[in-house]
Amino acid sequence: MSIGDASRACSHAAVALACALAAAVAGAQQQGPQVDTPHVSARLVASAQAVAPGETVTVGLAKTIIPGWHTYWRNPGDSGLATTIDWDAPAGVTMGDIQWPAPERHSLGPVTNYGYEGEVTLLSPLTVPADAEPGSTLALRAAVSWLVCEDICIPEDVELELALPVAETTRGDGHPAIDAARARLPVASPWSARHAIGEDGLRLAVDTGALPAGANDIWFFPYDWGRIDQSAEQRLSRTDQGVVLATPRGQAPPDETPLAGVLVIREDTPDGMLTTAFELSAPRVETVAAGEPVAATPDVPTPTIGLGLALLFALAGGLILNLMPCVFPVLAMKVLALVRSGGDAAGVRGHGLAYLGGVLASFALLAAVVLALQQGGARLGWGFQFQSPVFVVMVAWLLFAVGLNLSGVFMIGGGRLAGIGQSLTTRGGHSGSFFTGVLAAVVATPCTAPFMGAAIGFAMTQPPASLVAIFLALGLGLALPFVVLAWRPALVARLPKPGAWMERFKQFLAFPMYGAAVWLVWVLALQAGADGVLVAAGGMLAIALAAWLYDTTWASGVRARRGAQALAAVLIVATLAVGSGLATQPRETPAAARVGALLAHQPYAPERFDALRAEGRAVFVNMTAAWCITCIVNEQVALERADVAAAFAERDIAYLKGDWTNQDAAITAVLERFGRSGVPLYLYYPPGADTEAVVLPQILTPDIVLDAIGA
Amino acid sequence: MTIRPLIAAALAAGLFIPLATLAAPEVGKSAPDFKAVAADGTTVELSALRGKTVVLEWTNHDCPFVMKHYRTGNMQATQAKAAEQGALWFQVISSEPGSQGHVSGERAQALNAERDVTAVTNTLLDEKGTVGQAYGAQVTPHMYVIDADGVLRYMGGIDSIATARDADIDKATNYVVEALDAMKAGDNVPNPVTRPYGCTVKYAS
Repeated sequence: MSIGDASRACSHAAVALACALAAAVAGAQQQGPQVDTPHVSARLVASAQAVAPGETVTVGLAKTIIPGWHTYWRNPGDSGLATTIDWDAPAGVTMGDIQWPAPERHSLGPVTNYGYEGEVTLLSPLTVPADAEPGSTLALRAAVSWLVCEDICIPEDVELELALPVAETTRGDGHPAIDAARARLPVASPWSARHAIGEDGLRLAVDTGALPAGANDIWFFPYDWGRIDQSAEQRLSRTDQGVVLATPRGQAPPDETPLAGVLVIREDTPDGMLTTAFELSAPRVETVAAGEPVAATPDVPTPTIGLGLALLFALAGGLILNLMPCVFPVLAMKVLALVRSGGDAAGVRGHGLAYLGGVLASFALLAAVVLALQQGGARLGWGFQFQSPVFVVMVAWLLFAVGLNLSGVFMIGGGRLAGIGQSLTTRGGHSGSFFTGVLAAVVATPCTAPFMGAAIGFAMTQPPASLVAIFLALGLGLALPFVVLAWRPALVARLPKPGAWMERFKQFLAFPMYGAAVWLVWVLALQAGADGVLVAAGGMLAIALAAWLYDTTWASGVRARRGAQALAAVLIVATLAVGSGLATQPRETPAAARVGALLAHQPYAPERFDALRAEGRAVFVNMTAAWCITCIVNEQVALERADVAAAFAERDIAYLKGDWTNQDAAITAVLERFGRSGVPLYLYYPPGADTEAVVLPQILTPDIVLDAIGA
Repeated sequence: MTIRPLIAAALAAGLFIPLATLAAPEVGKSAPDFKAVAADGTTVELSALRGKTVVLEWTNHDCPFVMKHYRTGNMQATQAKAAEQGALWFQVISSEPGSQGHVSGERAQALNAERDVTAVTNTLLDEKGTVGQAYGAQVTPHMYVIDADGVLRYMGGIDSIATARDADIDKATNYVVEALDAMKAGDNVPNPVTRPYGCTVKYAS
């Protein structure tokens, strides 16, 4: 019994319990004797314990492959062989073609294969003749051949058997191995696709709309050998319509027929890696639509610098912080005070290290706060990536505001906090130095806050470990000059004298900030077009006006100051509101309209929902979004089915679909009520005005839906 | 954060990372030239063989697919057929030292003697994989037919049924024989590129 198959399907926490139960009762499943080769254990399994005449059930070839070895998909890739099954079924029984779970890639040097490791079940539909005798047993035999490879390959052949009772009605709870394989079967692609062959290779365009930013591992597995170079990289680029994969052609001559195969999307989600597979057929066109660039020309630049480079920049940024007017004068004074206090060299060095500790602790704390924001925000569905136009425009504005600050248009706190730093020199002891470090980080805020804001903006796009490392590098940069001076106090004499040059240096630093903002506006132009540029530039104007109002009225009377600050606040809020509108303008088909129409639905609205409940109607609620791949798959696999639609109709269940693509507040409220931070959410309210909602798992099968509605 | 323009530059540079893939030659164009050491210690250079049809057979004596075609005599018969037409036949072994199929020149000759291989011109020892990579050889057996002008006329599998079962040989179309016959008759090769099947070539990594 392949408990392992069950556990694979149970990777999603929401269905784990159901699967554990399924595995526990697996002893009752219909399956044939296991046959072992040196590399593979195999048996036939059935989706039912008994089958009725005229009906179709699924038979699976369940394989468990020893670690490190693999068998092959229908197109094995550069080498290898697909598994073949030669059925010997009783007269009248028909066996359909193998349904193949989505494959994985295995590369050995320059050769790439498509296949399976570990456990895999190949499915075949079996149809029983209408004249089969209930009470009899169908004896099914299969001659199965596969090639199993590690770095060497062994062809193996086995004979498998399965006895399947014929009964008045089909019964049984399925089989975990079959359920696991079904979860890996590609679903029909809801997106249109096309391909073009050019001098530089083959380009496949799939109109997925805007996929979630985490969905960066996208691979196309063609059904036929030779259409693409299986070992070559498939360069992914995003367009307004969806994604384009560019890859060299394979060895087969150019072909006019549609390019058929399976598109596998692996999405990095907070719950782990989510893999979904779509079967698609892409007709050949002359070129993939104009304006769709291949990945080699960066259409949407995504700044992914290496961690090492990012750390170096952070360190340099920290060092530059020391030159800020509210940090630099304090630095020299503090060191001199330490030396004058008469401590020996070792004592002074100790103070230096304590100071370093204080700065690092402060930055670690800040990193923790940013990390919490990032993780929390991601759960709310905020996109902290440069693929998100909102994020791009926000960072552009932030950098612009930093530039204004450095240019002296405005000062945070009106610059009146700068003198506090001098009080640092009055503390003593190592703990004093530690807190001096903390205070240096905190008190320097009027000068460093703009820089820190920019750093936070960048760090937000990083994975947690890099984020923390970047902040620590920044802190190290800030503390380093002090530590060096503590080690060699003689160097203090070499420091330049504080003076007007610091102000000029600060003003100069504004220009790189403006430059970076300009670059981001260009990025935005590619993402959101001319309108995006208008929003960005208009926002900059508003920000500049707000900053000027804020600063120019600082020394005015209370009333003038309040008025100006209120106006500035209105300007900023309005700007941010317009900016966040950039993403919520749908650039694609709304999710609610996308998938077929087997199951009639009404859009979710609280009033409509309350009215239906008041009538006592049973209600099925589906909260979905255009960018939610799981939602699309669930609808394809478990909802848009004739049997499910019939069951809904029979029970007069109202089907409400909420589209959270634009993060509708009424839907958010429902999600929160059920402790969810995102879609999908499936609820079933049985008939009656006061019934409690049944919450369905986030990954649906038709059986889960039918069970929930009592079909 | 004075780094964005630098990021842009770094990013643009990062997108042009070269890829390690096999570049297959094209049928109808000049076959890649090579110079390789053979089992008898001589050096074989393709460009020196103009005027003769040349067949290249990637092989690995322990690969089940190679074994299928040798134990049934199918490969020997194909070699004999090529020899009849005046073609030269070279086995190529691209397995790296220590991997399956890697043998010394002496052992390669002994293996051929054991298997009654008589019509092979020579066996090329390509343990660095340079010839294999130049031809995009992926599996054993992977077959290439080059005409007297040095033009590649066929590349792909030995035959049309991709299995390790001996019984399938009689049912399959032997693509190498088909190509040699077509070339002899002055016709175009009917299936100039087919899917090769067999064991992955054990290249040096």
